[in-house]
Amino acid sequence: MSPILSAKNIDAGYNDVIVIRDISIEINTREIVAILGPNGSGKSTLIKSILGFAKLFDGKVIYHGKDITGITSDRAVHMGIGYVPQINNVFSNLTIAENLDMGAYPCKDKKSIKSRMTETYDIFPELAARKKALAGNLSGGERQMLAIARAMMAQPKVLLLDEPLASVSPKPGSAILSKLNSIKDKGTAILIVEQNVQKVLSISNRGYVLVNGACVMSGSADSLFDEESSRQRFLGLEEKVLDNN
Amino acid sequence: MDINWAQILLNSVITGSIYLIGAIGLSVTYRLSNFSNFAHAEFITLGAFIGYWVSSQLGWGLLPAFIIAFLLTGTVSLLCYRGIFQPLAKRGASTIHLMIASIAVGFIIRYSIGAGWGWTPQYFLNTWTTYEVGAIRITGLWLLLILVTLTSALTMHFALMRTKLGKAIRASSSNPELAAASGINVNRVILITWFIGAGLAAIAGIFRGASTQVWPMTGWDIILPIFAVVVLGGIGNYHGAIVAAFIIGLTENIGVVALTNLGLATEYRMALAFLIIIITLIVKPQGLAMFFRRA
Ligand SMILES: Nc1ncnc2c1ncn2[C@@H]1O[C@H](COP(=O)(O)OP(=O)(O)O)[C@@H](O)[C@H]1O
Ligand SMILES: [Mg+2]
Repeated sequence: MSPILSAKNIDAGYNDVIVIRDISIEINTREIVAILGPNGSGKSTLIKSILGFAKLFDGKVIYHGKDITGITSDRAVHMGIGYVPQINNVFSNLTIAENLDMGAYPCKDKKSIKSRMTETYDIFPELAARKKALAGNLSGGERQMLAIARAMMAQPKVLLLDEPLASVSPKPGSAILSKLNSIKDKGTAILIVEQNVQKVLSISNRGYVLVNGACVMSGSADSLFDEESSRQRFLGLEEKVLDNN
Repeated sequence: MDINWAQILLNSVITGSIYLIGAIGLSVTYRLSNFSNFAHAEFITLGAFIGYWVSSQLGWGLLPAFIIAFLLTGTVSLLCYRGIFQPLAKRGASTIHLMIASIAVGFIIRYSIGAGWGWTPQYFLNTWTTYEVGAIRITGLWLLLILVTLTSALTMHFALMRTKLGKAIRASSSNPELAAASGINVNRVILITWFIGAGLAAIAGIFRGASTQVWPMTGWDIILPIFAVVVLGGIGNYHGAIVAAFIIGLTENIGVVALTNLGLATEYRMALAFLIIIITLIVKPQGLAMFFRRA
Protein backbone atom coordinates (compact mmCIF):
# COMPACT_ATOMS: atom_id res chain seq x y z
CA MET A 1 0.00 0.00 0.00
CA SER A 2 1.34 3.43 -0.84
CA PRO A 3 1.68 5.90 2.02
CA ILE A 4 -1.08 8.47 2.56
CA LEU A 5 1.47 11.26 3.02
CA SER A 6 5.11 11.32 2.09
CA ALA A 7 7.78 13.97 1.97
CA LYS A 8 10.68 13.22 -0.36
CA ASN A 9 14.16 14.71 -0.09
CA ILE A 10 12.98 17.88 1.62
CA ASP A 11 15.28 20.88 2.00
CA ALA A 12 13.51 23.57 3.98
CA GLY A 13 14.13 26.59 6.21
CA TYR A 14 13.42 30.28 6.59
CA ASN A 15 14.31 33.25 4.39
CA ASP A 16 17.63 32.26 2.81
CA VAL A 17 18.66 29.72 5.42
CA ILE A 18 18.24 26.00 4.90
CA VAL A 19 17.51 24.33 8.25
CA ILE A 20 16.71 20.73 7.28
CA ARG A 21 18.36 18.84 4.45
CA ASP A 22 17.32 15.85 2.39
CA ILE A 23 14.65 14.56 4.75
CA SER A 24 12.30 11.84 3.55
CA ILE A 25 9.39 10.54 5.62
CA GLU A 26 6.30 8.43 5.03
CA ILE A 27 3.05 8.05 6.93
CA ASN A 28 0.59 5.23 6.31
CA THR A 29 -3.05 4.99 7.30
CA ARG A 30 -3.54 3.36 10.71
CA GLU A 31 -0.08 4.42 11.76
CA ILE A 32 1.38 6.75 14.35
CA VAL A 33 4.77 7.98 13.24
CA ALA A 34 7.07 9.80 15.68
CA ILE A 35 9.57 12.51 14.84
CA LEU A 36 12.24 12.63 17.52
CA GLY A 37 15.31 14.68 18.13
CA PRO A 38 16.77 17.38 20.33
CA ASN A 39 15.56 20.97 20.44
CA GLY A 40 16.39 22.95 17.35
CA SER A 41 16.97 19.88 15.19
CA GLY A 42 14.31 20.94 12.69
CA LYS A 43 11.30 18.84 13.67
CA SER A 44 8.85 21.75 13.58
CA THR A 45 10.43 23.03 10.38
CA LEU A 46 9.78 19.69 8.72
CA ILE A 47 6.07 19.82 9.50
CA LYS A 48 5.83 23.50 8.61
CA SER A 49 7.48 22.92 5.24
CA ILE A 50 4.73 20.46 4.31
CA LEU A 51 2.10 23.18 4.92
CA GLY A 52 3.83 26.23 3.52
CA PHE A 53 4.68 27.80 6.90
CA ALA A 54 8.38 27.23 6.29
CA LYS A 55 10.13 27.75 2.97
CA LEU A 56 10.52 24.63 0.88
CA PHE A 57 13.76 24.84 -1.09
CA ASP A 58 13.74 21.40 -2.62
CA GLY A 59 11.86 18.11 -2.49
CA LYS A 60 8.35 16.87 -3.01
CA VAL A 61 5.26 16.35 -0.88
CA ILE A 62 2.88 13.60 -2.03
CA TYR A 63 -0.60 13.15 -0.53
CA HIS A 64 -2.86 10.33 -1.69
CA GLY A 65 -0.60 9.85 -4.68
CA LYS A 66 -0.98 13.51 -5.64
CA ASP A 67 1.85 16.01 -5.75
CA ILE A 68 0.90 18.78 -3.31
CA THR A 69 4.33 20.40 -3.02
CA GLY A 70 4.01 24.07 -2.02
CA ILE A 71 0.35 23.85 -0.99
CA THR A 72 -0.92 26.52 1.41
CA SER A 73 -2.19 25.29 4.75
CA ASP A 74 -5.79 26.42 4.29
CA ARG A 75 -6.00 24.29 1.16
CA ALA A 76 -4.23 21.41 2.87
CA VAL A 77 -6.98 21.34 5.52
CA HIS A 78 -9.65 21.15 2.84
CA MET A 79 -7.82 18.11 1.41
CA GLY A 80 -7.65 16.33 4.74
CA ILE A 81 -4.37 17.32 6.35
CA GLY A 82 -4.83 18.57 9.90
CA TYR A 83 -2.16 20.48 11.81
CA VAL A 84 -1.64 21.35 15.45
CA PRO A 85 1.23 23.85 15.82
CA GLN A 86 3.72 23.68 18.67
CA ILE A 87 2.82 27.10 20.08
CA ASN A 88 -0.32 29.25 19.95
CA ASN A 89 -2.35 26.21 18.98
CA VAL A 90 -5.75 27.48 20.14
CA PHE A 91 -7.66 30.72 19.49
CA SER A 92 -7.33 32.18 22.95
CA ASN A 93 -10.02 34.84 22.35
CA LEU A 94 -12.56 32.22 21.31
CA THR A 95 -14.53 29.85 23.53
CA ILE A 96 -14.03 26.09 23.37
CA ALA A 97 -17.15 25.72 21.23
CA GLU A 98 -16.03 28.52 18.92
CA ASN A 99 -12.59 26.95 18.55
CA LEU A 100 -14.22 23.70 17.47
CA ASP A 101 -16.48 25.63 15.12
CA MET A 102 -13.42 27.15 13.48
CA GLY A 103 -11.86 23.70 13.22
CA ALA A 104 -14.84 22.67 11.11
CA TYR A 105 -14.49 25.75 8.90
CA PRO A 106 -14.15 23.77 5.64
CA CYS A 107 -17.46 22.01 6.36
CA LYS A 108 -20.49 23.87 5.02
CA ASP A 109 -23.17 21.53 6.37
CA LYS A 110 -24.51 22.69 9.73
CA LYS A 111 -25.90 19.28 10.65
CA SER A 112 -22.60 17.60 9.98
CA ILE A 113 -20.79 20.21 12.10
CA LYS A 114 -23.18 19.48 14.96
CA SER A 115 -22.61 15.73 14.79
CA ARG A 116 -18.84 16.24 14.61
CA MET A 117 -19.10 18.48 17.65
CA THR A 118 -20.92 15.72 19.55
CA GLU A 119 -18.34 13.14 18.44
CA THR A 120 -15.49 15.40 19.49
CA TYR A 121 -17.04 16.01 22.91
CA ASP A 122 -17.38 12.23 23.27
CA ILE A 123 -13.65 11.82 22.75
CA PHE A 124 -12.87 14.84 24.95
CA PRO A 125 -15.50 14.97 27.73
CA GLU A 126 -13.17 17.37 29.57
CA LEU A 127 -14.03 19.98 26.93
CA ALA A 128 -17.76 19.25 26.86
CA ALA A 129 -18.02 20.39 30.46
CA ARG A 130 -16.62 23.84 29.61
CA LYS A 131 -17.98 24.70 26.17
CA LYS A 132 -18.29 28.39 26.92
CA ALA A 133 -14.91 28.78 28.59
CA LEU A 134 -12.43 31.04 26.85
CA ALA A 135 -9.55 28.98 25.42
CA GLY A 136 -7.13 31.48 26.92
CA ASN A 137 -8.31 30.48 30.39
CA LEU A 138 -7.68 26.72 30.05
CA SER A 139 -5.00 24.68 31.79
CA GLY A 140 -2.08 23.29 29.78
CA GLY A 141 -3.68 19.87 29.40
CA GLU A 142 -7.10 21.22 28.47
CA ARG A 143 -5.54 23.55 25.96
CA GLN A 144 -3.65 20.74 24.21
CA MET A 145 -6.82 18.66 24.11
CA LEU A 146 -8.69 21.58 22.57
CA ALA A 147 -5.90 22.04 20.04
CA ILE A 148 -6.18 18.41 18.93
CA ALA A 149 -9.99 18.50 19.06
CA ARG A 150 -10.03 21.63 16.91
CA ALA A 151 -7.95 19.89 14.25
CA MET A 152 -10.12 16.77 14.42
CA MET A 153 -13.25 18.79 13.60
CA ALA A 154 -12.14 18.91 9.96
CA GLN A 155 -12.06 15.07 9.97
CA PRO A 156 -8.50 14.92 8.65
CA LYS A 157 -7.02 11.81 7.04
CA VAL A 158 -3.62 12.80 8.41
CA LEU A 159 -2.96 14.73 11.59
CA LEU A 160 0.36 16.53 12.08
CA LEU A 161 0.97 17.15 15.78
CA ASP A 162 3.83 19.31 16.98
CA GLU A 163 4.64 18.49 20.62
CA PRO A 164 1.08 17.98 21.88
CA LEU A 165 2.35 17.01 25.33
CA ALA A 166 4.41 20.14 25.95
CA SER A 167 3.48 21.82 29.25
CA VAL A 168 1.10 18.99 30.13
CA SER A 169 1.52 17.13 33.42
CA PRO A 170 2.00 13.32 33.24
CA LYS A 171 -1.57 12.25 33.96
CA PRO A 172 -3.41 14.31 31.35
CA GLY A 173 -0.45 13.55 29.09
CA SER A 174 -1.20 9.84 29.23
CA ALA A 175 -4.88 10.60 28.67
CA ILE A 176 -4.00 12.55 25.52
CA LEU A 177 -1.82 9.70 24.23
CA SER A 178 -4.57 7.14 24.64
CA LYS A 179 -6.98 9.49 22.84
CA LEU A 180 -4.48 9.70 19.99
CA ASN A 181 -4.43 5.93 19.87
CA SER A 182 -8.19 5.78 19.45
CA ILE A 183 -8.09 8.54 16.84
CA LYS A 184 -5.61 6.41 14.90
CA ASP A 185 -7.81 3.33 15.27
CA LYS A 186 -10.68 5.27 13.74
CA GLY A 187 -8.60 5.78 10.61
CA THR A 188 -6.62 9.01 10.97
CA ALA A 189 -2.89 8.64 10.41
CA ILE A 190 -0.81 10.63 12.89
CA LEU A 191 2.59 12.25 12.63
CA ILE A 192 3.73 13.32 16.06
CA VAL A 193 6.70 15.38 17.19
CA GLU A 194 7.53 14.79 20.82
CA GLN A 195 10.32 15.33 23.32
CA ASN A 196 9.29 12.54 25.66
CA VAL A 197 10.75 9.65 23.70
CA GLN A 198 9.63 6.85 25.93
CA LYS A 199 6.02 8.00 26.02
CA VAL A 200 5.65 8.70 22.36
CA LEU A 201 7.32 5.49 21.21
CA SER A 202 4.90 3.55 23.39
CA ILE A 203 2.06 4.50 21.04
CA SER A 204 4.04 4.84 17.78
CA ASN A 205 4.55 2.30 15.03
CA ARG A 206 7.62 3.91 13.52
CA GLY A 207 9.85 6.88 14.03
CA TYR A 208 12.50 9.16 12.57
CA VAL A 209 15.29 10.81 14.51
CA LEU A 210 16.45 14.24 13.39
CA VAL A 211 19.68 15.79 14.54
CA ASN A 212 20.92 19.12 13.23
CA GLY A 213 18.51 19.12 10.34
CA ALA A 214 19.42 15.64 9.11
CA CYS A 215 17.69 12.32 9.58
CA VAL A 216 20.17 10.13 11.45
CA MET A 217 17.99 7.14 12.14
CA SER A 218 14.60 5.68 11.31
CA GLY A 219 12.75 2.43 11.87
CA SER A 220 10.14 0.70 13.94
CA ALA A 221 9.38 2.07 17.38
CA ASP A 222 10.85 -1.07 18.97
CA SER A 223 14.06 -0.90 17.02
CA LEU A 224 14.49 2.77 17.83
CA PHE A 225 13.85 2.07 21.45
CA ASP A 226 16.28 -0.84 21.55
CA GLU A 227 19.04 0.90 19.73
CA GLU A 228 21.53 1.51 22.50
CA SER A 229 23.41 4.23 20.70
CA SER A 230 20.25 6.09 19.80
CA ARG A 231 19.15 6.14 23.41
CA GLN A 232 22.44 7.50 24.53
CA ARG A 233 23.36 9.87 21.79
CA PHE A 234 20.12 11.19 20.41
CA LEU A 235 17.21 10.42 22.60
CA GLY A 236 18.81 11.41 25.86
CA LEU A 237 16.97 8.86 27.96
CA GLU A 238 18.30 8.34 31.46
CA GLU A 239 19.40 4.86 32.47
CA LYS A 240 16.95 5.03 35.38
CA VAL A 241 13.95 5.54 33.13
CA LEU A 242 14.81 2.36 31.29
CA ASP A 243 15.24 0.39 34.51
CA ASN A 244 11.74 1.37 35.52
CA ASN A 245 10.41 -0.03 32.31
CA MET B 1 -21.47 79.55 34.80
CA ASP B 2 -24.26 77.00 34.51
CA ILE B 3 -23.16 73.75 32.96
CA ASN B 4 -25.76 71.70 31.11
CA TRP B 5 -24.48 68.22 31.90
CA ALA B 6 -27.30 66.42 30.09
CA GLN B 7 -26.36 68.24 26.91
CA ILE B 8 -22.68 67.49 27.42
CA LEU B 9 -23.50 63.83 27.82
CA LEU B 10 -25.59 63.84 24.65
CA ASN B 11 -22.88 65.70 22.74
CA SER B 12 -20.39 63.10 23.93
CA VAL B 13 -22.57 60.31 22.59
CA ILE B 14 -22.80 62.11 19.24
CA THR B 15 -19.06 62.71 19.04
CA GLY B 16 -18.32 59.17 20.20
CA SER B 17 -20.70 57.68 17.64
CA ILE B 18 -18.91 59.27 14.71
CA TYR B 19 -15.53 58.24 16.13
CA LEU B 20 -16.75 54.67 16.67
CA ILE B 21 -18.07 54.17 13.14
CA GLY B 22 -14.93 55.84 11.85
CA ALA B 23 -12.59 53.74 13.98
CA ILE B 24 -13.89 50.16 13.55
CA GLY B 25 -12.34 49.65 10.13
CA LEU B 26 -9.02 51.19 11.11
CA SER B 27 -8.81 49.06 14.24
CA VAL B 28 -9.66 45.74 12.58
CA THR B 29 -7.47 46.22 9.52
CA TYR B 30 -4.61 47.47 11.71
CA ARG B 31 -4.63 44.18 13.59
CA LEU B 32 -5.20 41.92 10.59
CA SER B 33 -2.83 43.55 8.12
CA ASN B 34 -0.29 44.57 10.72
CA PHE B 35 -0.04 48.26 9.92
CA SER B 36 -2.01 51.41 10.61
CA ASN B 37 -3.61 52.62 7.41
CA PHE B 38 -3.39 56.42 7.39
CA ALA B 39 -5.41 56.56 4.18
CA HIS B 40 -8.34 55.60 6.39
CA ALA B 41 -8.77 59.35 6.93
CA GLU B 42 -9.37 59.72 3.22
CA PHE B 43 -11.94 56.92 3.25
CA ILE B 44 -13.88 59.13 5.68
CA THR B 45 -13.41 62.14 3.41
CA LEU B 46 -14.38 60.18 0.33
CA GLY B 47 -17.54 58.99 2.05
CA ALA B 48 -18.42 62.57 2.97
CA PHE B 49 -17.96 63.74 -0.63
CA ILE B 50 -19.83 60.84 -2.20
CA GLY B 51 -22.63 61.35 0.32
CA TYR B 52 -22.72 65.09 -0.44
CA TRP B 53 -22.65 64.43 -4.18
CA VAL B 54 -25.47 61.87 -4.11
CA SER B 55 -27.75 63.60 -1.63
CA SER B 56 -27.11 67.29 -2.25
CA GLN B 57 -25.75 67.56 -5.80
CA LEU B 58 -27.76 64.78 -7.43
CA GLY B 59 -30.61 65.29 -4.96
CA TRP B 60 -31.27 61.58 -4.47
CA GLY B 61 -31.74 61.76 -0.72
CA LEU B 62 -29.80 60.41 2.22
CA LEU B 63 -30.49 56.67 2.07
CA PRO B 64 -29.01 56.27 -1.43
CA ALA B 65 -26.15 58.49 -0.26
CA PHE B 66 -25.32 56.09 2.58
CA ILE B 67 -25.53 53.02 0.37
CA ILE B 68 -23.54 54.41 -2.54
CA ALA B 69 -20.88 55.96 -0.28
CA PHE B 70 -20.51 52.67 1.60
CA LEU B 71 -20.13 50.59 -1.55
CA LEU B 72 -17.89 52.97 -3.52
CA THR B 73 -15.57 53.73 -0.61
CA GLY B 74 -15.41 50.03 0.26
CA THR B 75 -14.41 49.32 -3.32
CA VAL B 76 -11.71 52.01 -3.30
CA SER B 77 -10.35 50.51 -0.08
CA LEU B 78 -10.40 47.03 -1.57
CA LEU B 79 -8.47 48.27 -4.61
CA CYS B 80 -5.94 50.06 -2.39
CA TYR B 81 -5.33 46.90 -0.39
CA ARG B 82 -5.33 44.52 -3.32
CA GLY B 83 -3.36 46.79 -5.63
CA ILE B 84 -0.86 48.43 -3.27
CA PHE B 85 -0.62 47.16 0.31
CA GLN B 86 -0.94 43.43 -0.29
CA PRO B 87 1.67 43.32 -3.09
CA LEU B 88 4.02 45.41 -0.90
CA ALA B 89 3.49 43.09 2.07
CA LYS B 90 4.12 40.05 -0.14
CA ARG B 91 7.44 41.55 -1.15
CA GLY B 92 8.42 41.79 2.48
CA ALA B 93 7.55 45.43 3.19
CA SER B 94 7.72 46.14 6.93
CA THR B 95 5.06 47.79 9.07
CA ILE B 96 6.84 51.12 8.61
CA HIS B 97 7.01 50.77 4.81
CA LEU B 98 3.30 50.00 4.67
CA MET B 99 2.46 52.90 6.97
CA ILE B 100 4.40 55.35 4.82
CA ALA B 101 2.82 53.90 1.68
CA SER B 102 -0.59 54.49 3.28
CA ILE B 103 0.29 58.12 3.97
CA ALA B 104 1.17 58.46 0.29
CA VAL B 105 -2.06 56.77 -0.80
CA GLY B 106 -3.96 59.11 1.53
CA PHE B 107 -2.31 62.15 -0.07
CA ILE B 108 -3.16 60.93 -3.55
CA ILE B 109 -6.83 60.41 -2.66
CA ARG B 110 -7.02 63.70 -0.76
CA TYR B 111 -5.58 65.81 -3.57
CA SER B 112 -7.60 63.94 -6.19
CA ILE B 113 -10.71 64.84 -4.23
CA GLY B 114 -9.46 68.42 -4.03
CA ALA B 115 -8.87 68.47 -7.79
CA GLY B 116 -12.32 67.06 -8.46
CA TRP B 117 -14.51 68.96 -5.99
CA GLY B 118 -12.25 71.85 -5.04
CA TRP B 119 -10.96 72.94 -1.62
CA THR B 120 -13.79 75.31 -0.72
CA PRO B 121 -15.91 73.79 2.05
CA GLN B 122 -19.28 72.48 0.88
CA TYR B 123 -22.38 72.00 2.97
CA PHE B 124 -25.12 69.38 2.84
CA LEU B 125 -28.37 70.99 1.67
CA ASN B 126 -30.50 69.08 4.15
CA THR B 127 -32.18 71.07 6.88
CA TRP B 128 -32.65 69.33 10.19
CA THR B 129 -35.44 69.81 12.67
CA THR B 130 -34.23 70.58 16.17
CA TYR B 131 -36.09 68.93 19.02
CA GLU B 132 -36.01 70.19 22.58
CA VAL B 133 -36.43 67.62 25.30
CA GLY B 134 -36.17 69.22 28.72
CA ALA B 135 -32.79 70.86 28.89
CA ILE B 136 -31.32 69.14 25.84
CA ARG B 137 -31.47 70.00 22.17
CA ILE B 138 -31.12 67.32 19.56
CA THR B 139 -31.29 67.58 15.78
CA GLY B 140 -32.79 65.07 13.37
CA LEU B 141 -29.28 64.38 12.06
CA TRP B 142 -28.12 63.42 15.53
CA LEU B 143 -31.10 61.13 16.05
CA LEU B 144 -30.28 59.46 12.76
CA LEU B 145 -26.64 59.14 13.80
CA ILE B 146 -27.60 57.48 17.07
CA LEU B 147 -29.92 55.11 15.22
CA VAL B 148 -27.29 54.20 12.62
CA THR B 149 -24.61 53.74 15.29
CA LEU B 150 -26.82 51.50 17.42
CA THR B 151 -27.84 49.44 14.41
CA SER B 152 -24.34 48.98 13.07
CA ALA B 153 -22.81 48.36 16.50
CA LEU B 154 -25.35 45.64 17.26
CA THR B 155 -25.10 44.13 13.78
CA MET B 156 -21.31 44.02 14.09
CA HIS B 157 -21.56 42.50 17.54
CA PHE B 158 -23.83 39.67 16.41
CA ALA B 159 -21.87 39.16 13.22
CA LEU B 160 -18.60 38.84 15.13
CA MET B 161 -19.99 36.63 17.90
CA ARG B 162 -22.47 34.44 16.04
CA THR B 163 -21.67 34.11 12.35
CA LYS B 164 -19.03 31.92 10.83
CA LEU B 165 -17.43 34.86 9.02
CA GLY B 166 -17.40 36.92 12.22
CA LYS B 167 -15.72 34.16 14.18
CA ALA B 168 -13.26 33.73 11.32
CA ILE B 169 -12.43 37.45 11.55
CA ARG B 170 -11.78 37.14 15.31
CA ALA B 171 -9.81 33.94 14.79
CA SER B 172 -7.71 35.44 12.00
CA SER B 173 -6.90 38.58 13.93
CA SER B 174 -5.76 36.74 17.04
CA ASN B 175 -3.90 33.90 15.32
CA PRO B 176 -3.58 34.09 11.53
CA GLU B 177 -1.37 31.01 11.24
CA LEU B 178 -3.82 28.81 13.14
CA ALA B 179 -6.69 30.33 11.18
CA ALA B 180 -5.02 29.24 7.97
CA ALA B 181 -4.37 25.82 9.50
CA SER B 182 -8.11 25.62 10.21
CA GLY B 183 -8.93 26.11 6.54
CA ILE B 184 -9.78 29.81 6.75
CA ASN B 185 -8.72 31.82 3.74
CA VAL B 186 -7.16 34.61 5.79
CA ASN B 187 -6.53 36.76 2.74
CA ARG B 188 -10.20 36.76 1.90
CA VAL B 189 -11.05 37.65 5.49
CA ILE B 190 -8.66 40.59 5.29
CA LEU B 191 -10.21 41.82 2.04
CA ILE B 192 -13.69 41.65 3.52
CA THR B 193 -12.65 43.71 6.56
CA TRP B 194 -11.00 46.31 4.33
CA PHE B 195 -14.26 46.62 2.41
CA ILE B 196 -16.64 46.80 5.37
CA GLY B 197 -14.28 48.94 7.47
CA ALA B 198 -13.94 51.57 4.75
CA GLY B 199 -17.69 51.44 4.08
CA LEU B 200 -18.32 52.27 7.72
CA ALA B 201 -15.70 55.04 7.56
CA ALA B 202 -17.68 56.51 4.66
CA ILE B 203 -20.83 56.56 6.81
CA ALA B 204 -18.88 58.36 9.55
CA GLY B 205 -17.72 60.78 6.87
CA ILE B 206 -21.28 61.59 5.84
CA PHE B 207 -22.30 62.34 9.44
CA ARG B 208 -19.20 64.41 10.05
CA GLY B 209 -19.64 66.23 6.75
CA ALA B 210 -23.33 66.86 7.34
CA SER B 211 -22.76 68.20 10.84
CA THR B 212 -19.73 70.35 9.95
CA GLN B 213 -18.45 70.79 6.41
CA VAL B 214 -17.34 68.74 3.46
CA TRP B 215 -13.84 69.45 2.24
CA PRO B 216 -10.71 67.41 1.41
CA MET B 217 -9.63 67.48 5.07
CA THR B 218 -12.93 66.23 6.54
CA GLY B 219 -11.39 62.86 7.49
CA TRP B 220 -7.99 64.21 8.46
CA ASP B 221 -9.72 66.64 10.85
CA ILE B 222 -10.84 63.72 13.05
CA ILE B 223 -8.14 61.11 12.43
CA LEU B 224 -6.38 61.88 15.72
CA PRO B 225 -9.34 61.09 18.01
CA ILE B 226 -10.07 58.07 15.82
CA PHE B 227 -6.53 56.81 16.40
CA ALA B 228 -7.08 57.46 20.09
CA VAL B 229 -10.15 55.20 19.96
CA VAL B 230 -8.12 52.46 18.23
CA VAL B 231 -5.25 52.66 20.71
CA LEU B 232 -7.36 53.04 23.86
CA GLY B 233 -9.77 50.31 22.76
CA GLY B 234 -6.92 47.93 22.00
CA ILE B 235 -5.90 47.39 18.39
CA GLY B 236 -8.41 45.12 16.68
CA ASN B 237 -10.65 44.96 19.72
CA TYR B 238 -14.21 45.76 18.70
CA HIS B 239 -15.79 45.95 22.16
CA GLY B 240 -12.85 47.95 23.44
CA ALA B 241 -13.38 50.42 20.59
CA ILE B 242 -17.02 50.98 21.59
CA VAL B 243 -16.10 51.94 25.13
CA ALA B 244 -13.07 53.93 24.00
CA ALA B 245 -15.12 55.93 21.48
CA PHE B 246 -17.43 57.16 24.21
CA ILE B 247 -14.58 57.84 26.61
CA ILE B 248 -12.90 59.97 23.94
CA GLY B 249 -16.21 61.67 23.12
CA LEU B 250 -16.77 62.48 26.77
CA THR B 251 -13.19 63.68 27.29
CA GLU B 252 -13.46 65.98 24.33
CA ASN B 253 -16.80 67.49 25.32
CA ILE B 254 -15.88 67.98 28.96
CA GLY B 255 -12.55 69.28 27.70
CA VAL B 256 -14.28 71.95 25.65
CA VAL B 257 -16.17 73.17 28.71
CA ALA B 258 -13.02 73.13 30.82
CA LEU B 259 -10.99 74.93 28.16
CA THR B 260 -13.69 77.57 27.76
CA ASN B 261 -13.84 78.13 31.50
CA LEU B 262 -10.07 78.42 31.62
CA GLY B 263 -10.21 80.93 28.81
CA LEU B 264 -8.21 78.70 26.45
CA ALA B 265 -8.93 78.03 22.78
CA THR B 266 -11.24 75.03 22.26
CA GLU B 267 -8.91 73.90 19.44
CA TYR B 268 -6.87 72.31 22.20
CA ARG B 269 -9.50 69.57 22.45
CA MET B 270 -7.63 67.61 19.78
CA ALA B 271 -4.63 67.61 22.06
CA LEU B 272 -6.76 65.70 24.57
CA ALA B 273 -7.06 62.76 22.15
CA PHE B 274 -3.31 62.85 21.69
CA LEU B 275 -2.85 62.90 25.45
CA ILE B 276 -5.03 59.81 25.78
CA ILE B 277 -2.96 57.98 23.14
CA ILE B 278 0.23 58.79 25.00
CA ILE B 279 -1.11 57.88 28.42
CA THR B 280 -2.51 54.60 27.11
CA LEU B 281 0.78 53.66 25.47
CA ILE B 282 2.69 54.42 28.65
CA VAL B 283 0.33 52.86 31.19
CA LYS B 284 -1.33 49.99 29.35
CA PRO B 285 -0.26 49.55 25.72
CA GLN B 286 -2.95 46.91 25.07
CA GLY B 287 -5.58 49.46 26.08
CA LEU B 288 -9.00 48.24 27.15
CA ALA B 289 -8.39 44.88 25.43
CA MET B 290 -7.77 43.28 28.82
CA PHE B 291 -11.43 43.78 29.69
CA PHE B 292 -12.75 42.47 26.39
CA ARG B 293 -10.94 39.23 25.74
CA ARG B 294 -13.47 37.70 23.37
CA ALA B 295 -13.08 40.40 20.75
N1 LIG C 1 10.68 31.36 11.99
C1 LIG C 1 11.99 31.07 11.98
N2 LIG C 1 12.87 31.87 11.35
C2 LIG C 1 14.19 31.59 11.31
N3 LIG C 1 14.73 30.50 11.88
C3 LIG C 1 13.93 29.64 12.52
C4 LIG C 1 12.51 29.89 12.61
N4 LIG C 1 11.97 28.87 13.30
C5 LIG C 1 12.97 28.03 13.63
N5 LIG C 1 14.16 28.49 13.16
C6 LIG C 1 15.46 27.84 13.31
O1 LIG C 1 15.39 26.57 12.69
C7 LIG C 1 16.07 25.60 13.46
C8 LIG C 1 15.14 24.43 13.71
O2 LIG C 1 14.06 24.87 14.49
P1 LIG C 1 12.79 23.96 14.76
O3 LIG C 1 12.34 23.35 13.48
O4 LIG C 1 11.81 24.78 15.48
O5 LIG C 1 13.39 22.83 15.70
P2 LIG C 1 12.64 21.80 16.65
O6 LIG C 1 11.19 21.86 16.35
O7 LIG C 1 13.25 20.48 16.31
O8 LIG C 1 12.95 22.21 18.05
C9 LIG C 1 16.52 26.28 14.74
O9 LIG C 1 17.88 26.57 14.59
C10 LIG C 1 15.73 27.56 14.78
O10 LIG C 1 16.49 28.59 15.35
MG1 LIG D 1 9.66 22.41 17.52
